[in-house]
Amino acid sequence: MMESIRCDAMPIEVLLVEDSPGDVRLTQEAFKDAKVHINLHVASDGARAMAFLNREGEHANAPRPDLVLLDLNLPKKDGREVLQEIKESSTLKSIPVVILTTSSSEADILKSYRLHANCYITKPVGLEGFLTVVKSIDNFWLSVVKLPHEVSS
Amino acid sequence: METVEKQVSIALATIGAVILIVVWLAYSEGRAAVDALTWVSHTHEVVADLEGILADVADARLNAGRFVRTGLQSDLPEYQSSRAQIRGRLSRVRQLTSDNPRQQGRLIPLDQAVAEQLSLQESGISAGSQARPEAALQFLRSDAALESMQAIRKIIADMTAEEKTLLRQREGESEVTRSRASVTLACLGAVVLLLLVLISYILTQDIRTRKWANEALRRSAFEFHDLYDKTPCGYFSLDFQGAFLQINATLLAWLGYRREDIVQILEFRCLLTPESAQRFETVFARFTKQGRIEELSLDMLRKGGSVMPILLTAEAIRDSSGHYISCRSTVSDITERKKSEEHLLKTVKELKRSNDELQQFAYVASHDLQEPLRMVASYTQLLAKRYKGRLDSDADEFIAYAVDGSNRMQGLIQDLLAYSRAGTNAKALHEISSENALKEALTNLRATIEESGAVVTHDPLPAITMDDMQLAQVFQNLVGNAIKYRGAEAPHVHVSAAKNGGNECIFSVRDNGMGIDPQYSERIFILFQRLHGQKEFKGTGIGLAICKKIVERLGGRIWVESQREKGSTFYFAVPERNGE
Repeated sequence: MMESIRCDAMPIEVLLVEDSPGDVRLTQEAFKDAKVHINLHVASDGARAMAFLNREGEHANAPRPDLVLLDLNLPKKDGREVLQEIKESSTLKSIPVVILTTSSSEADILKSYRLHANCYITKPVGLEGFLTVVKSIDNFWLSVVKLPHEVSS
Repeated sequence: METVEKQVSIALATIGAVILIVVWLAYSEGRAAVDALTWVSHTHEVVADLEGILADVADARLNAGRFVRTGLQSDLPEYQSSRAQIRGRLSRVRQLTSDNPRQQGRLIPLDQAVAEQLSLQESGISAGSQARPEAALQFLRSDAALESMQAIRKIIADMTAEEKTLLRQREGESEVTRSRASVTLACLGAVVLLLLVLISYILTQDIRTRKWANEALRRSAFEFHDLYDKTPCGYFSLDFQGAFLQINATLLAWLGYRREDIVQILEFRCLLTPESAQRFETVFARFTKQGRIEELSLDMLRKGGSVMPILLTAEAIRDSSGHYISCRSTVSDITERKKSEEHLLKTVKELKRSNDELQQFAYVASHDLQEPLRMVASYTQLLAKRYKGRLDSDADEFIAYAVDGSNRMQGLIQDLLAYSRAGTNAKALHEISSENALKEALTNLRATIEESGAVVTHDPLPAITMDDMQLAQVFQNLVGNAIKYRGAEAPHVHVSAAKNGGNECIFSVRDNGMGIDPQYSERIFILFQRLHGQKEFKGTGIGLAICKKIVERLGGRIWVESQREKGSTFYFAVPERNGE
């Protein structure tokens, strides 16, 4: 399932890798109030996410994302593998990857950072908490932080 | 036994000595008798010769007188032969009495008197030959002739008397000796008899003792053999090749064999499974040198072929030069033990598996429940946020209940997750300051403490071996509860610790809160058990359950002493591990 939400000028491309439609919708809801124009692309499993990033098949014209929001527990290809592949790829490794998952296990946190995740966020249980987290991502990663602008090949 | 043999040999030696004495005595007695006879014949000889001298002198005088009166030459030869005999007899007497100086002394005057007499007779005969009969008779009847004749008679009478006295004396002496010898012999005979009686007594006693000892030996051998056979443990002996020399009834019964099937027929290895036989070969070769097998685990084969697991202990028996002769071996049947060991092992494995599963289940369940619950909670909250007041009042109420329910369920799942994790991911235990753990707990509770105006005090707390995070959590839950379930007054919580007999450290958290009815003092430690409704006090009933789990995982215990309205004291005891 792929969706693209086109906004106006200078859009920021975000790839959300998430298998739960409920979470996808909540994220979309949360980004509705974002300060910047965001193109939110969604990949529902790890394999699709890699295809999007590598512009394979139907994703031949996909934009290079400025930020990846990655869940860890995914069908087909695990989030950890996706993270590893991104960080091992010379062209993709400069893209910041934010791990957004329900897991709060120490092992997952440690492993993610060892694979060079840029930050690790546990999904809060309540709605307010979730909205706050997405707003924080919007605020920090999409407004405060300077992202690299690499020319797509 | 040795003393008996000694006693008998001493008695026999004594008897031998006595017999030697007897023989010697008999021999000397015989010698004495012979001596006595010699003396008698000697005396008779002397007396006969003396009397012969007297008779010959008298004959010679008679014949000399006859010749003087008749003048017949035919009377002379008789006179001459008497004279000749006298000389012979005198010299014999001298010889026979040579050991008697008194008799020798008497012989000198006898010689003189005989010589005088004979010379007077000679003078008479020579006068008679010249036909002077009166002169001849004068010679023969002279006083000198009569005196010498008398002197001869007297001396001979003296000498004869002396000899006879001597004879009597000697006979008396030998009589005394004989009777003394008889007494001695009788005494010795009595001694021998006594000794024989003594020997026979000793031997009888000895035989009786031996008989008794033999009987005791036989009885004890029987008892030993009975014990050997019937003791609830297998016994056997093997020769140097490993063949059976002996086997007891118990082991036979276990194996289902008869003694004659095995002893001197089979080797021990024939009654083992091939694998055990191989192991035994190796061990037995070493055993004949080293001399001991300790609890070797082997599998024996019963007669029907079924396997009997055993433990074998054996000791080598050696001769005086250290060569292996046989071995004494004991066998215990460990079928039951093996079975129960296996059962135990299986149960432990099963228990561990089920425990792991339970742990995994609790974790997975609470973790995986989170996802759908998060959806329910988030979207009911989104509903509440977007549509509150835009639907009817029923909808608002229903949504409110849904939100509350999902919130509480989230709390429960969070707690369940915390409970399933509690005590499982402990760090390696090392000595920590329990005072620091309490400080950490109080830092976490700062808001609660400030809000309630609680006063938390503590005694100096010891260093103990425990995970500091877990100890802090226990303190946090207990102090948190003490403040939460406060009484009428401002909460005052006091923490202290004491060592108990050196192997436990007991902490206590005392409060002045509302107290707990003693009938609930067990129940409050059970997961999700609460004494109050949500309206009175919020909570899921997890705090004490987590404390209990942490403490019990360390081998400790936790309990409460409380009085309603007066306050409670929670205690927990942690075993001291000395840096284990």
